[in-house]
Amino acid sequence: MNTLPLPLEGVRVLDLSWIIAGPTAARHLAMMGADVIKLGSNRRPDPSTGSPSFQVYNQSKSYAALNLSLPRGLELAKSIIAVSDVVVENFAAGVIERLGLSYESMCKANPSIIMVSSSGTGHTGPDKDYVAYGSLLQHYTGWNAVSGYPEREPIRGGLWADPWVGMELCMVILAALNHRATTGYGNYVDFSMAEALSATIPEALIHYQMNEVIKEPMGNKDDWDSPHDVYRCKGSDQWVAIAVTSNEEWESLCRAIGKEDWISDARFAIAETRQAHATEINSAITRWTLQLGDYEATRILQSAGIPAGPSLNYARVFQDTELRNTGYISKVRTSDGETRALPGLPWRFGSQPAEKNEPAPVLGQHNDRIYLEILGLTRREVSQLIDARIIF
Amino acid sequence: MDCDQSANRYVRCVVVVELMSGVKVLDVGQRISAPYCAKTLANMGAEVIKVEPLEGDEARRMGPFPPGDRHPEKSGIFLALNANKLGVTLDLTSNVGKDAFCKLAQKADVIVENLPFRHMENLGLGFADIKAINPGIIFTSITPFGDRSANKDWKATDLTLFHMSGNAHELLGPVADPDTEPPIRAGGHQAEFVVGLTAVTATLAALFQRRMTGNGVHVDLSSYEALVTQGIAGLASETYGVPRQARDLSKSTGGSVTAVGGILPCNDGYVAISPREDAQWERWLEVIGRPDWSTDEKFATRSSRQSNLVELWRLLGKWSCQHSKHDIARWGQTQRIPCFAVNTISDLLQNEHLIAREFFVEIDHPIAGNLRYPGVPYRFSNATLPLSKFPAPMLGEHNAQILGKAQ
Repeated sequence: MNTLPLPLEGVRVLDLSWIIAGPTAARHLAMMGADVIKLGSNRRPDPSTGSPSFQVYNQSKSYAALNLSLPRGLELAKSIIAVSDVVVENFAAGVIERLGLSYESMCKANPSIIMVSSSGTGHTGPDKDYVAYGSLLQHYTGWNAVSGYPEREPIRGGLWADPWVGMELCMVILAALNHRATTGYGNYVDFSMAEALSATIPEALIHYQMNEVIKEPMGNKDDWDSPHDVYRCKGSDQWVAIAVTSNEEWESLCRAIGKEDWISDARFAIAETRQAHATEINSAITRWTLQLGDYEATRILQSAGIPAGPSLNYARVFQDTELRNTGYISKVRTSDGETRALPGLPWRFGSQPAEKNEPAPVLGQHNDRIYLEILGLTRREVSQLIDARIIF
Repeated sequence: MDCDQSANRYVRCVVVVELMSGVKVLDVGQRISAPYCAKTLANMGAEVIKVEPLEGDEARRMGPFPPGDRHPEKSGIFLALNANKLGVTLDLTSNVGKDAFCKLAQKADVIVENLPFRHMENLGLGFADIKAINPGIIFTSITPFGDRSANKDWKATDLTLFHMSGNAHELLGPVADPDTEPPIRAGGHQAEFVVGLTAVTATLAALFQRRMTGNGVHVDLSSYEALVTQGIAGLASETYGVPRQARDLSKSTGGSVTAVGGILPCNDGYVAISPREDAQWERWLEVIGRPDWSTDEKFATRSSRQSNLVELWRLLGKWSCQHSKHDIARWGQTQRIPCFAVNTISDLLQNEHLIAREFFVEIDHPIAGNLRYPGVPYRFSNATLPLSKFPAPMLGEHNAQILGKAQ
């Protein structure tokens, strides 16, 4: 059987974004085979430059240096847009237009361009100019408010907004590419990071409308499934998460922890009554889990057909050999010359090659590829642009 | 030709059609992930038929519900995830059910399912079976660990995925005693939503590829790897040997606050601030009326603020608790300081910015009534999004209409 090209081979993306969300979207597209050109300048470098995370936010891209603050630089950017399918940017609202790269001006260079603009609160509305970081948006959007425990300070929230938006921007770009393939038309997409987070908490929004009270956050517990919690294991800060989602799983759990007599106990017959007796149930489970390591408990429970898993930090996720066995993590020679294990994409298309996993570039690494090969400039023209501080 | 300049400043004179117009999707999903994937495609104009077992999607029993009323047509999560879909019931273990399903599958572009591993295959309705009758089918299987994993038979839920993938360890921030305060999952079903979103992405990539090749494909999606992808920055830290923030407060560089930012108490809740750059800090001192602190050596630089964190946040809290979170957020943003009210769910539904952007979508349902649902974070200039086409289907609502046609 012939090997198929990657899904996005032949699609070119101009990545004008920086920090996390926009670069992550373009990273996913690049790994699916799109030719992603990241543009940057050394006057305002991508703030993640030099950090380990830059290496995963920019895998498989080309990186050219360009000074967009001078007219000739802007002209070159438009020449790249003319031969691209997609532009993605995530500056604060209004910045890209002030740079001279509004959707209208891009359309002059390429009438069917797809431009995706992501900002903290979107590009219309009274708060559109609010200065935002993802961590703060998690508070603004109600996302953090549904998590944690009652009567405590809001939780800190972790790094959630930016990677989520990275995947959602990628999804939106694919939708626009499909639409263009059918209709021939491009699109301008106004994307709000804040709305992306608020869109994922429908339960809380609907609960409030139905009950007229704000539902308290419930830590690891659940409205419907029971038992549903994390349980202390033998090692330091080791926990196993257990979620019983049916009566069959409850019976298996009773057998696994040596509480067969509970199977016929009417007090524990259904999830609702088990919730009412959670303290008694949870202490019996803990007595059992305390004898075991987190993976050990997981394996016993899983072989009995019960959803369970260790609560891991990133160090232990990274060590999970399964991520290497499935090919999700693979070895790549990074820009510092070392061989390092880097993540890929979380899906496979049948037996097709998984993805393009190449190291993140350094600024200017692909100047020749972009300016000579794609735009067709001569070496002489490029050196003049270098002298004029347009390219560096 | 349509040329509506008033609705959107970017609309050009084109034939405005829905993004996924003409795409036919079968949603064989339970609970959250696959239904959310199909719902996103429905929001973009795909024709989605939800195939439920005779007893209905489990999400019908999950809630939230009105007080004391666990009616299967009133489950909030079911209503939210299944609006804009048509609904049929089929017993896929019976020959009649299988035949009806195959007739629907012959006309479909996409099937998305999250049933137990190989369940569809064992019913004779797997990718190979459907491909034999519909060579262009995109068959998206959401499983806990993917087809290639040694753990492929393991089960997973929102809780176990959130914990296994590293996300739970950083959610709470550092705690005083990690052995008594466990890592927690986020509220709602965040892990399942990530899986659903990832499934839409993969499905749209497969659809795009099919336009070139004409061939269908089996999309094998690992829920666990989707959640790990939320934490690629964490994996990068590991591969470069840079330690992450410890969960133990005594070993960490800061609790819920650092020099970079944190949460302040107000007279009506909390405000989250992040005046991390020196220039932002200078302007923040104007907001709180303490410009004299800029020359106070305890607070003059980011590193001195970090060293005197406890005192600094005590003083800031003394000021902030006299004011409203909404006032502080506005004062801060006027000075271009990243600063937001910690909104409650009730704040959110009244938020003028979200209302001005028409974020919430109102849909009336014959049994559950009129509710405001969260919409989507994107607006397309050259395509419409039919977000409120119709309410979630009642159990078997479109059996006669659709199965009549299929039979």
